Amino acid sequence: MQQGGNARTGIERRTILKAAGASLAVAGLGATATACGGGSGSADGTVTIRYAWWGGEPRAIAIKKSIALFEKKYPKIKIKPEFTDYEAFWEKFQTQASGGNPPDVFQNAVAFLRKYDKRGVLMDLKTQADAGNLSLDNFRNGVLAAGQADGKQLGVPVGANTMSLVIDLKAFRKAGVQPEFGWTWDEYFEALQTIQDKLKIAGDTGYFTIMYLYDLYLRQNGKAFFTDSALGFTEDDLTRWWEDGYKRVRSGLVADPKKIEQVKPKSGLSAGLAASEFTWDNFSIRYEGEGESDYGLAPIPTTDGKDTGQYLGSLMLSAFTGTQHPKEVAQFIDFMVHDPEVGKIMGYDRGILATTEQYEAYAPSDGPDKGVKAYEEEVAAAGVLGKITPHPSGADVIEAAFLRIGGEVAQGKAKPADAARTLFSEAKAAFAG
Amino acid sequence: MTTATSPAVRTAGERRRTGSIAWHVGALVVLAVVLYPVVWVVGAAFKPSKDIIASLDLLPARPVWANFSGLADGISGISVSSFFVNSLLYAVLAVVGVVLSASLTAYAFAKIRFAGRNLLFTLMIGTLLLPYHVLLIPQYVMFRKLELVDTLVPLVAGKFLATEAFFVFLMVQFMRGLPRELDEAAKLDGCGHLRTYWSVVLPLCRPALITSAIFTFINAWNDFMGPLIYLNTPSKYTVSLGLMMFRDQEGISNYGSMIAMSLVALVPVVAFFMAFQRYLIDGMATSGLK
Repeated sequence: MQQGGNARTGIERRTILKAAGASLAVAGLGATATACGGGSGSADGTVTIRYAWWGGEPRAIAIKKSIALFEKKYPKIKIKPEFTDYEAFWEKFQTQASGGNPPDVFQNAVAFLRKYDKRGVLMDLKTQADAGNLSLDNFRNGVLAAGQADGKQLGVPVGANTMSLVIDLKAFRKAGVQPEFGWTWDEYFEALQTIQDKLKIAGDTGYFTIMYLYDLYLRQNGKAFFTDSALGFTEDDLTRWWEDGYKRVRSGLVADPKKIEQVKPKSGLSAGLAASEFTWDNFSIRYEGEGESDYGLAPIPTTDGKDTGQYLGSLMLSAFTGTQHPKEVAQFIDFMVHDPEVGKIMGYDRGILATTEQYEAYAPSDGPDKGVKAYEEEVAAAGVLGKITPHPSGADVIEAAFLRIGGEVAQGKAKPADAARTLFSEAKAAFAG
Repeated sequence: MTTATSPAVRTAGERRRTGSIAWHVGALVVLAVVLYPVVWVVGAAFKPSKDIIASLDLLPARPVWANFSGLADGISGISVSSFFVNSLLYAVLAVVGVVLSASLTAYAFAKIRFAGRNLLFTLMIGTLLLPYHVLLIPQYVMFRKLELVDTLVPLVAGKFLATEAFFVFLMVQFMRGLPRELDEAAKLDGCGHLRTYWSVVLPLCRPALITSAIFTFINAWNDFMGPLIYLNTPSKYTVSLGLMMFRDQEGISNYGSMIAMSLVALVPVVAFFMAFQRYLIDGMATSGLK
C-alpha cells in the first residue's frame, strides 16, 4: 500500500527518504543534512547548546542580545534559543524530559527543582563549579540558596524577587492611610476597612488564595508552607486562614471573586476593583501598563510587628544532566549570571540581578524598576530576609490547587473546612506523583 | 373545529406566516449569540491594545490599524509571516498525506478480499480509542531517536501512513456504497487494482475526499500540541505557537497584536472551506449514480 502512494507523490517519497537518511545517521553510517536535535558536535569543534526559557517579547529580545555577546566571546559555542510562554513551556518540557531530550540549559523556578531532580533531569552544578567552569561566588543576600536542594546546586539564580504588597497609591492617599514597615495584619485590615468606608472599593483582590503569601504568614508564626517532604501546617491552620478570608469577602473587604474573574486577564487592582494585591515584586510592572492609577510597593504585614517572613525567591538557570557538553553549558551559565554587559541588557526582567557584578553594572532608569530596587533594598536593610525552604516535588501542582480551591472558598462554593481537607488530599497525591 | 364564536380567526396561511416570522427571529437571535465572539474579535483587532481588556464596548470608538502594522515588525525577532508559511506547509502536507493514504487504505478495505481483512479493520477502528496522550511520549522518543525532532516530519509522517483512522473509516463507508459493477467493469477492461483505484474509485469518491481534506486542513491549522512538542526553533513555529508568544504572564501581554494575528489566522481556514465547499455540494449532487 505504501508503495502505491509512494510512487505517486514526490512529497511522500521525500519524506520517507528523509526518514531513512536520518535512521542511517543514527546507525552511524553517514551524516545527513536533516539531522538536528541531539547531535550537536561538528567537525571544527563547534558545539551547539539548546537554551530554553519562558517569557514575553522583551525577555526574548534581551536574551538574544546576551547570546550574541556570548557567541562573540566563545566562537566555538553556538546557542540555539527556544522560547514560549509559561504554560506551554512546562507542558513541552514535561514531554521532552520524559523523552530524554530536554534542552541543555533552561530557565527554572524553585517549585520545579525537586520534581525534576527526582526524575534525574537536573545537573548538580556544584560539580561544574568545582571543575572551575562556573563561579558560584558574588551572589547577593544569600539568593544562591534558592537554587539548592538536598545539598545540590540544581539551579543558578539569575534574578531575585520577593513577595510584596502592590497598592493603588492614589486610593491609599485619598483614604488617608499609610502603609508602614512592620505593620501588623490587624493594622493592614483596618487600613482596608478605612478605604472601603471612604472610597467604596474593596481593599484587596483575594489574598488568601496565594500560596506564597500564606507561606509568609506561616513563617511569621514559626512554620512554613512546605517541609522537606510534606505540608508544614495543619488542616485546622488552613481552615482558619480560609474562614477569615471568606468572612472578608462577605463583608466586602476583599473584592467579589466573580468581578475579579470578569476583568481577567486584567488584575482586579488595575481594574480599580480593589486597592491592593499581593504578588511578586518583579510582576509589579504590569499594573502601570494596565491601570489608570499610580502603583507602588508596600511592606508585607506582620504578626509580631517585625518579621515579614520574606525571603528571596528566584528564577534560575538549570542544566540537563545528560547534556553532551557539560563544560560549555557551565561556561554559558557562568557568563549569563556574571557578565556585567549581560546585566545591563537584561535589567530586572527576571528579578533584581542576582550577582554583585551585574547588580552594580545596571542602573534602573524607569519608575517601576527603581521602585522594585528600592523595595528590595528596604527589605534587605530591615534584616527580615530569611532563608528559602526548598520545595518538595509536587509544589507546582499544589500552588495551582491552592489557588483553585481557595477560589472555591472565595465564591462560597466550598466550606473552608471541606476545602482544607480537599487540599490536603490533593497535596498527598501531588507529593506521591 | 367550529370557530364561529371567535372573532380572531386566522387562516392557515396567516398562521404559517407568523410561524415563519417567529422561526426567523429565533434563528437570528441564535445567530447573534453564535456570531458575537467573532464580532468581538473583529472589533478588538481594531482597538488600541490597552482598550482591549479595559473597555467593554463591542466596537472600537476610533478604529486603529496599529495592531496590524505591529504584526509587520514580527514578534521577538521572528517575522509573523514565517508562522503562516510553516502552518501552511504543515496543513498542505497533511491534506495531501491524508487524502492519498487514507483513500488507498480504504480501497483495500472496501474493494479487496484478503485474509484478516475484518480483523485489521477492527484493529484500525480500535486505534480511534487510543487517547493522544498515551502515544505522545513513545512517539516522541521514537522521533527523537530518528533525529527528526524540530522538523515537520513527526507531524506529517503519520498522515502519509494512513494513521488517521477516522478518515479511512469515512472513505471505506463511502466506497462500499459505490456500485460493485463499476470496478468489475474496470477489471474486465484489464485494470489492475492501482488503475481501478486511481481511475475509477478515486474520482467517484470526491465528496469523501473533500470532506477529509477540509477537516484535515482545519485540524492541522489549529493543531497546538503536536507543534508544541516537536518544534523547538521559534522560526519553525506554526501560527498556533506564534500566537502564544504574545502572551506574557509576568509583564504586559500584547493583546492587540495577538488578536490581530488570530483574525489573520482565520483567513486561510475560511478561504480553504469556501474554495472546497462548492465541490462538496457538487460532489453530493453528482455522486448519485445508482
